[in-house]
Amino acid sequence: MSLLTAKAIGKNFGGVVALDDVSLTVENGEIVGMIGPNGSGKTTFINNLSGLYAPSNGEFIFNEEDITGLAAHVITAKGISRTFQNLRVFPNISVLENVLVGLHCRINVSLWDVYFRFLKTRKAESQAKEKAMAVLEVADLASRKNDLAKNLPYGKQRLLEICRAIVSDPHLLLLDEPCAGMNPVEMDELADFIKVLQKKGITVFVIEHNMRFIMSVAERIIVLANGAKFQEGTPAQIQNDKKVQAIYLGDEGDI
Amino acid sequence: MKFNSLLENPIYVKAGYILAILLALFLPKIVSDMYYLGIVNYMILYAILCMGLNLILGYTGLLSLGHAAFYGLGGYTTAILITRYGFSFLSCLIISGIVALLFGILLGIPTRKVRGDYFCLLTIAFGEIFRLVAQAWIEFTNGAMGIVGIPIPKIFGWSIRTESDFYYLGLTLLGFTYITLALLVNSKFGRAFIAIREDELAASVMGINTALYKIIVFAIGCFYAGLAGSYLAVYQTTITPSNFRLEESCLMIIMVIVGGMGSLLAPIAGVIVMTIATEYFRGISEYRMLIIGVIMVAVLLFRPQGIFGTSAFKS
Amino acid sequence: MFFDVLLIGIMVGAIYTLVTIGYSMVYSILKLMNFAHGDVYIFGTFICYTLLSKYSMNPLVAILIAALLGGLLASLVEVVAYRRLRSEQHRMISMITALGAAYVIQNSNELQWGNQVLAFPSILTAKTFQLFGFTIPITQIIILVIAVSLIAVFTLFLKYHPYGKAILCVSEDIPTASLMGIPINKTITMVYFIGGMLGVVGGILYSTSYNAVSLAMGFRGTIIAFTAAVIGGIGSLGGALVGGMLLGICENFIGVYVSSSYRDPITFLLLILILLVKPTGIMGSVDQSKV
Repeated sequence: MSLLTAKAIGKNFGGVVALDDVSLTVENGEIVGMIGPNGSGKTTFINNLSGLYAPSNGEFIFNEEDITGLAAHVITAKGISRTFQNLRVFPNISVLENVLVGLHCRINVSLWDVYFRFLKTRKAESQAKEKAMAVLEVADLASRKNDLAKNLPYGKQRLLEICRAIVSDPHLLLLDEPCAGMNPVEMDELADFIKVLQKKGITVFVIEHNMRFIMSVAERIIVLANGAKFQEGTPAQIQNDKKVQAIYLGDEGDI
Repeated sequence: MKFNSLLENPIYVKAGYILAILLALFLPKIVSDMYYLGIVNYMILYAILCMGLNLILGYTGLLSLGHAAFYGLGGYTTAILITRYGFSFLSCLIISGIVALLFGILLGIPTRKVRGDYFCLLTIAFGEIFRLVAQAWIEFTNGAMGIVGIPIPKIFGWSIRTESDFYYLGLTLLGFTYITLALLVNSKFGRAFIAIREDELAASVMGINTALYKIIVFAIGCFYAGLAGSYLAVYQTTITPSNFRLEESCLMIIMVIVGGMGSLLAPIAGVIVMTIATEYFRGISEYRMLIIGVIMVAVLLFRPQGIFGTSAFKS
Repeated sequence: MFFDVLLIGIMVGAIYTLVTIGYSMVYSILKLMNFAHGDVYIFGTFICYTLLSKYSMNPLVAILIAALLGGLLASLVEVVAYRRLRSEQHRMISMITALGAAYVIQNSNELQWGNQVLAFPSILTAKTFQLFGFTIPITQIIILVIAVSLIAVFTLFLKYHPYGKAILCVSEDIPTASLMGIPINKTITMVYFIGGMLGVVGGILYSTSYNAVSLAMGFRGTIIAFTAAVIGGIGSLGGALVGGMLLGICENFIGVYVSSSYRDPITFLLLILILLVKPTGIMGSVDQSKV
């Protein structure tokens, strides 16, 4: 059984069809890339998957469970976490606190515990801090744990956003254009980091415009065009596909 | 920024806290003038209100202009239960808090659907409805005349009569407010509230049930307003609808802003500064709102983080 | 009886529409609750009151001066209290400065004119005429005509005048409008100016038809404007008309058939209900925020 199965996902905004009959599967432990020209519906797809929108039709099966149209926070708790295209760290709190927020649904403390079971709450908090620190160590951000997130350099903020997403031990990590605005060195670091995540057992689904990056990271690539699935294959197959090259002509995305 | 670097030194901060606590415990022995102690009592009252409001405003980023209504709900609950049904003060205090909490849940529910500024309008509407109903429903609230002759409260045989008695009652409530709020904001819930303020959508993707949490935070903030209202009723021995006007909500907001949003104790600084300012300008009370308005605009333009606030509100 | 109440309701509704338009435009551009709106319009109304009762000025000139001063005050508020905070990420901040500005204006009004209800001179004829057996006061017809024609002029202005088009562009998207060479600051100040002017005219019409002006009408005006704008659907002129009319008519019926002391609470309750059922208003559309 695949980790994620998307069955005939469709999404309309008013009369505009943003996604049309997109079906795909993601297997446990792989790194899947999604590419496509601007406006082809990539971000819309993961917005639907992560619960920010509800799909107009079709269904998402995750871990043999139907998660279609559930609220975003429920989907996160079930083990899908994500980052955003336009960088959304919490700017005015510290790096460590950012990661702790990502751990929210894994800290098993209720309001009752907060007021009446201090020891349990304190223990859960310190465990959470340890876990958050461990993740920051891996990403080499531990030395900056007390800095405000907005004071990190851009590339580090991107990394922090990924840390915040993986600290809750997701089964599936959705990355929405993680390289946007990065320089080539930062991109290579990120590619290495994603492979480390794979070794830790996290399945990664990554949307990216930068072909060099996606070809080096992804094991399988899905091409989206005009809201529909256009092609699927290994990086080598996609790279040599005449039709895929054709849809990119005239688009500013660098291939 | 000498002042800020002083705040960063832990020894000074600790010494400051200990000094403040000692001062708080023995204040009635030091301040013998009952007039000044009365002013301090009002400061405590506003401190409770503003710390609750700060949870809503400074931590979660919801603008509520109806806080006075929850304050009033507490006040009227206590006044009516004590004068008509002979309830004990302690039970009134708890019931007042709970009534405010329940109404807070009720008004918090729309936050699921409506955006921030519409929510602000909802709170204004609620505040006005409360005040107008308190004025119009004469059989129940005695209308604009208000409820008078609220008896001296007794707690476990201790009757609270003098300014100094009320001071210790207020201080206890303030301590309760501080401790319970500190527990909350230092837990994962406090972080979740801040996350909602920073970026609600990202917060929901972090697994935070933003709709539910906004209701929770609003209701909890209102609970403290209910407590404060109850205290006001027995302290003033009379309450009228004009105690709970929109202007009162605005005053609380400005106290929170001046002190600094998003930091637990900062609103107290705002309360102290604003109360002293109000007293100082008593002679020209017809300019009161003008001065409040100028301070509101000036603080937000030039020092939005207030005296002690977090960097979230620094421009 | 019923017809009279309806007619007064329509007239009040037309006035509310005037007050609402400026408010709604400002809101749709900056997404800012302009708490000072009501106090600005009452300031203009007070000015008009002084010009008429103290200096016995020609009503038309008085209205013109009052409207201009009101417009100037509104744009002054924008420049002083809002402009610097426009890029602030917490919209809450500029809402609070708006409230502060409202306080300053309100208190200044109070210092000048006090907080009592003043008798506003009636500047329109008190004559009535008969139509289908109903007695119709001419005042109300004139007010209705003025209000409706101002709404029409403003609509045409937005549609055809280059400045009007600039306003629409800015309300769509400030960065893009700026790239197109539209002077953002100037346009926004102009919106405040026009909004203040329309508000003042509305306030004067209201005051002359009830022969009263008071400080308390200022805050009430802000709430009325926002309520009407929300009911109709914020940012749309049609919405302002629908919301203003609906509010005016409802209020009058509640005031006459229920009780005037419950008029405002019921109005507020109506607002809460509409926000709960349809937060986008009757004419409004959903805008899904981009992720």
